[in-house]
Amino acid sequence: MNAPTGLDFAEIPERIQSEVQRAIMRSIKGVEYFSTSGPTLGSTPKDVLHSRGTMSLYHYRPMSDEIYRVPVLIVMATTNRGYILDLVPGQSFVEFLLKRGYDVYMLDWTAPRPEEKSLRMEDYVLDFIPDCVRRVQQDSGEQDVSVIGYCFGGVLSLLYGSIVNDGPMKNLICFTTPIDFREMKLFSNFSDRRYFDVDRLVDSVGNVPPEMILSSFEMLRPASRTVSQIQLWENIWNDEFVKSYRMFDRWATDTLPLAGEYFRAITKDLMWDNKLFNDTMSVGGRAAKLENIKVPILHAVAEHDHIVPYDAAKYLIAKIGSEDKEEVMLKGGHVSLVAGANAVKRLWPKLDSWLGKRST
Amino acid sequence: MTDKMNDPVALWQRMIGEMEKGFNSLATKAMETPEFSQAMNRAGGAAAGAQKQFGDLMEKYLLSMNLPSREQMTGIAERLQSIEGQLGEIKSMLSQMSAASGGSQIGAAPRPPRTKRPPSEGGERK
Repeated sequence: MNAPTGLDFAEIPERIQSEVQRAIMRSIKGVEYFSTSGPTLGSTPKDVLHSRGTMSLYHYRPMSDEIYRVPVLIVMATTNRGYILDLVPGQSFVEFLLKRGYDVYMLDWTAPRPEEKSLRMEDYVLDFIPDCVRRVQQDSGEQDVSVIGYCFGGVLSLLYGSIVNDGPMKNLICFTTPIDFREMKLFSNFSDRRYFDVDRLVDSVGNVPPEMILSSFEMLRPASRTVSQIQLWENIWNDEFVKSYRMFDRWATDTLPLAGEYFRAITKDLMWDNKLFNDTMSVGGRAAKLENIKVPILHAVAEHDHIVPYDAAKYLIAKIGSEDKEEVMLKGGHVSLVAGANAVKRLWPKLDSWLGKRST
Repeated sequence: MTDKMNDPVALWQRMIGEMEKGFNSLATKAMETPEFSQAMNRAGGAAAGAQKQFGDLMEKYLLSMNLPSREQMTGIAERLQSIEGQLGEIKSMLSQMSAASGGSQIGAAPRPPRTKRPPSEGGERK
């Protein structure tokens, strides 16, 4: 080793050879990248139990000889597709749950149709979720249902649980769920009531276009898309990296439009008036206070979440009325908390150990 | 092993990472200002207004061409959705009736028993 520079000259030819090989592989794999499609996502066997407009309820076929008594209903965020929780075999949260003996259902969303622009918050909280819960009860033959809500799916689950607080919800698990919307600083600034005319927007476009939703997510980290493309080119020789990139990139850009009235309610009630945090939220004229939730609850938050910063999520557990409540902070970001290699070893086992003993 | 401090590839990757962090942080600071919100929403509002005007114009054009407008198509879609909803309800009722009469659902695989217990602390996972 050359002491002053720290360079090991003996390794230089080997390193050059390795870089040349990678450069060649980049050219070959680069052509392959553009001529092939990515891995098939969301392929865990399932049946569509019910479908109504923007709402779809799936039942995943069990993968275990024996299952827990209490079925699990996953409520997906309304801005994105549910296949983030069912990427590919070995990296699918749904598959993990099935193999651990859970009976899994998912409330997933498709793009609301133009005529669904009038869907309101109450349609999601007091119609879609209860309808799915009822169908899960019918299909499974069980009265109790555990609910898992991801991001805004968590907000909807909280609203449902705080209103239907003597209902069938046995356990509630929230992943990265915001309640203090003032702390979502950039979103809060984008929707500043002095400058953002939500009425004009909704009255003009009906459903809020997915491009607008995607742009607001990407604006939270404006350099990251460009950097991720540079990283893709650097690592295009690496099949595993490319597979992972394609999965996450496809999901991240597969954003859904939001029903106009629903978006209006989110903006006014949550972003402007912060009603959920202030205990003044109501849906369809029914008070939705977090203290009304008495069921066991687990809230998983990510240490480096740039979409739902910890400050926006940290008071959830304190405000919940349950005695059995826990918050767990894990390494990762908003998406890597729930999907990908880190989730496999961090969140999923934690969830299994928490939920298993509450599912009998 | 080559020191990472002197590895040009590692240096390049670190530089990209730092640039990303720096740019994101700088942009975040700028986007947190009310001026940014005002400018962004002025542009967004103009785009939404233009989109509405264009939509109105298109509707008049389609009418003159004797083609169905978006509103009419939406009306048909609403009726279809209502029919879909009713079909779903009928299907659900049939399933319930079938289950109540003791018959298994057509094509449905038998479900595993709901008897699973959580593995004991430190015990073997089933």
